[in-house]
This record gives sequence, structure tokens and C-alpha cells, in this order.
Amino acid sequence: MRVSAYWGCVIPNVEYAYEMSVREILPKLDVELVDLENVSCCGLPVRSVNAYASLYLSARNLALAEKTGLKDLLVTCNGCHLTLSEAMHFLNHDEKLRGKVNSLLREEDLEYKGFIRIWHLIDLLHDKIKEETIQKSMKKPLKNLKLASHPGCHTIRPSRLGRIENDPENPGKMDDLIRLLGATSVDYPEKLDCCGALLLWSHRDVAFTFAGLKIKAVQEQGFDGLVVSCPACHLVFDARQKAAGVTVGSKLNLPVVYYSQLLGTAMGIEEEKLGLHLNRSPVDELIEKMG
Amino acid sequence: MLIGVISMVDDASITDLMATKKPNLQLRSKVLGKIGDHKPYDCFQCIRCTSGCPSMKMLELKPHEIVSLVKLGFVEEVINSGIIWTCAQCLTCKERCPQEVAPVDLILALRNLAVETEAKVPESYLRNVSSILETGFILKPQPTITRNLEKMDREKLGLPRIPKPNEKFKANFMKALETF
Repeated sequence: MRVSAYWGCVIPNVEYAYEMSVREILPKLDVELVDLENVSCCGLPVRSVNAYASLYLSARNLALAEKTGLKDLLVTCNGCHLTLSEAMHFLNHDEKLRGKVNSLLREEDLEYKGFIRIWHLIDLLHDKIKEETIQKSMKKPLKNLKLASHPGCHTIRPSRLGRIENDPENPGKMDDLIRLLGATSVDYPEKLDCCGALLLWSHRDVAFTFAGLKIKAVQEQGFDGLVVSCPACHLVFDARQKAAGVTVGSKLNLPVVYYSQLLGTAMGIEEEKLGLHLNRSPVDELIEKMG
Repeated sequence: MLIGVISMVDDASITDLMATKKPNLQLRSKVLGKIGDHKPYDCFQCIRCTSGCPSMKMLELKPHEIVSLVKLGFVEEVINSGIIWTCAQCLTCKERCPQEVAPVDLILALRNLAVETEAKVPESYLRNVSSILETGFILKPQPTITRNLEKMDREKLGLPRIPKPNEKFKANFMKALETF
């Protein structure tokens, strides 16, 4: 399967481990990634400033993905996934708006046609790739691990738009994928709590409070680690875990990993190729447990 | 009833939203024109949005109150109060609203209007826009270090070069930004 890959802003500029691990695991599952040229920010940060300019950015990126001729587009960031999916919804349901945006895009020899299907890493692995294919690719199952999943807000809501999960109040695809690796994934009361990352632009301390309270709760429930699939969530839970701990007045030391890093480890890929040396949270303990 | 909203833009001011304010119907129709087919007038104040709002706990954001204030036409007060910038965009309000009001979309429309009317806007949002104009992205590649303190960048990590939008992009993005 060939898919075009859109990485957004946060993954290629800060959260390198996510990109590295996704680039490692997918070829092992017969998914070939085709990088996009000429793309920009998805438009999410601009939604608060000018919705039309945000839509232009989204439509432009979608048009560039369509230009490859590939029908499937992989969007690994939850925020980009939401923004591009919403843009598709607007463009597909409002012909006038689509005409207006396309007339702007035509100046760049681009056109949004609307034949593309957007995937996130989680639903691609869960719904598109066969369980046996993943199982066959694994070298060592991850036994004796109790993990908490953090699906993230932007891939589960709003359900009316059609998101990667079937039930917005009870998402379970990431948990299924964790269990597929041999580890345990248990529900916990704070599972749907927001990471707070988008508040970094206006209320930094509150963003850290959101993140800190969630990490603290997960830690207190005896989980071996928290699994995420969004670079913004990972940024506040992992890279800023110390700051979050200071903000909520707790010593936080919870390993936080991307699902792709977890799957890569089960596939027997070296730590450094999965960017596990870049995580700021104490993942060494987790790596040791994964043996 | 006192509805005190602490403005984060300048931390000191407290706006009493209900003190003899006059509705501004022009601004109201402007906001309503920005939210597509969502229907704030169908809101019957069930408060499911506010009950599930994470920013309610921390910053006293009450989405149902924002909906109500816009319905009544107190738009200027809302966009100048700073409260619209406390939303974390988790979308829980939009998911749980039984009336498809989508308070988060209303908040985003109010943010757009705050920019348009040159009200106070958190600097980071404007910085994001100028960064996109400059490079296409809100961030430049950040140097990083491993847990063993070894300096790393994309090249050392074996990652390919980041794409760059072409020249025409800048002009078009500017054009889009001038469209409200």
C-alpha cells in the first residue's frame, strides 16, 4: 500500500521520535510512505485568527496530497487530522466555498477535488492493516506491561464529522492495538482528559496543570506508562513533564511513549531508530521492562 | 448578577459583563455569519457543555454563558474580556451538545472577530501567523538532545529535509488573511 504522508509542524520540527518511529514501522507492514513537497502548516493555529485563511492552508495541503494521485493520506498528528478532516467536510458540502478556495489555489496550479481518504496512524493500523500482518512483524511480545492509553481529543471528536473512533465517549482502538502487542491496557477515569497543549499559546501554566494532573493520576494508578499518538500531547506529557510536575506540586516520573515506538520495540527495532533516546520522560524503566 | 471575567491579556482588569451594557446587534449578526449551520438560538441552557469543560475547572470558562451572551448581543464585551482565549479546543462541548450549538465554534468565531476588530489577542497566535508567512510552519527545526546529552538534529537523526512552500504561497496566504 502506498500512502502520501503529511507531518504538519510539530512532528518534523520538534517531535522527531514520532516521525522516526513511524518511518521505521510502516515499511515493515508493507506501507510505503510518499512525502509531500511544498506543503505548509495544516491551518489549526490560524483557525483562531481567520477561519478562511485556515481553510486555505488545509485545502492547499489536501490539493498537494491529491496531486500525487494517491487516494490515501496519512496524517499522524491529531490536530492536523482534525483540521484537514473538517476542511474536507466544509469543502465537500459547500460548493460556493469550494469554488472560492479553488480559485485561489488555481493561481498555484492546484485544485482540491475531494477524492482523498485521510488516515491517522491508529485507524490505519487498526482498520486497514490486518492483525496477522502486525503479529507476523513482531519479534518479541510486550508481556507484563500495564499501559494507559491517551487517545487525544482531536481524533475522537466531533463524532458527527466521522472520526477515527466509533464511540467518542469510549474510544478503544489504541487499547486494542496495545493488547495486540501482548501488553495490558486498562481504562482509567481520566482517559478522556485533555492534555491542555493548545493552551500553551495563551495560558502556559494552565496547560501544564492539565498535563500534570493527568500524569499524576495515571502514575498513582500504578501504570507502567502512558501511550500517545499525538505530537502535541506528547510534547506536554513527555518533554514538559518536569514543568508540569512543578506546576501541580508533584514529582512526576511516568514514562510516556508513542504507540509507534511501542510497536517498533515489539518488532525488535533498535531503540535509537525509534527515537527512544529522545524522550524526556523516564522511558529507560519501560524499555527495561519490555526486555 | 456579577459575571467577573479576568482578562488574561492584561492581568489586572476585571470586566463586569452585565453592568448596563447595550446589545450590539450588528456584531451579533457578524458572529452568527461565521458559524455555518450551527444554531445558538436552539440552546436551552442545559449546561452539558460547561459541565464537561476542562477550562471551566481552571479558568472559569462557561461555554453556555458565552452562547447566551452572544444571543443577547453582548458581543463586544465577550471579545474584549479575554475569556474566549481560555478554551483548550478539546471539543467536548461540541460533542455533548444535544442541540448542535457547538460552543467551541462560536468561541473560534469570536476569536476571529476579536482579530478583525483589533481587540486584544494573545501574541502567540499572531506570531504563529507571521511564522507561517515566513516559513510555511509555526516552528523552525529545533535542536534537541538525547537523554545522554548528545546534540541532535534532523540530519543526524537520519530524517529527510523538511518541505518548503513555494513563493506563490506567501501571496495567496496574505490574500486569504485579508478575507474575513
